[in-house]
Amino acid sequence: MAMDIEMRDDDAAVVIKVTGEVDLYTSPKLRTAVLDALKKQATVGVDLSGVGYMDSSGVATLVEGLKSATDAKKDFVVVAPSSSVLKVLQLSRLDKVFAIRESL
Amino acid sequence: MGEDIRLEIRSDARLLGAIRSLVRCYVGSCGFREERVDEVVLAVDEACANAIRHAYGGRKDRKLELTLRDEEDWLTIAVRDSGRPAPAERVQRKRLGARKAETLSPGGLGVQFMYRVFDEVAFEPGVRRGNRVTMRLKCPKGR
Repeated sequence: MAMDIEMRDDDAAVVIKVTGEVDLYTSPKLRTAVLDALKKQATVGVDLSGVGYMDSSGVATLVEGLKSATDAKKDFVVVAPSSSVLKVLQLSRLDKVFAIRESL
Repeated sequence: MGEDIRLEIRSDARLLGAIRSLVRCYVGSCGFREERVDEVVLAVDEACANAIRHAYGGRKDRKLELTLRDEEDWLTIAVRDSGRPAPAERVQRKRLGARKAETLSPGGLGVQFMYRVFDEVAFEPGVRRGNRVTMRLKCPKGR
């Protein structure tokens, strides 16, 4: 199963909705989307409600997004992570580092 | 009895999804509960992804070997490559966690997942080439 990305861009934020599986093969596409969105808007959300699987390359992508956002004084939000995403963030001991919201 | 499955896989990240499906099916049949199966699938995916990314530097035309066995109440999964041996520092067990974005370093997270999921993890980097990582997990009682 591959990964799909859908962008929602409004006045306040860009929300990147990810569906499918985030792994070494698919995460570069997410990385590009996150870094592009951070150039455009002050708030970027990554909606992970439709992600059935994520590995450490997905976590690394989120970390990179958070670091870029912090450097640029922007907001990076993880939106509605699925249970499998939450588990991987917990396993990484990074679940407290991200701003996690149910919606954006 | 030996191995149940020995699989040769091209070093292409596109194939990770297929590897996960196989591992999910196999580990499920060994009697682990679903949450445990998810963790094992993740750790094996990380082992294969590491070989592709680090040992082979992203080259897609090399080979990985994945073996699965369920013997004497131990699930044993090994991944072998013939690429660049991993530096000892990269495959050490470390403490995870960070509170602030500035101090985050996501590198090597996959290796730590492997340590956290399995009861025993042994990395055997070759002298000139190749790596083998063997991961073992005690099977559930009364399965």
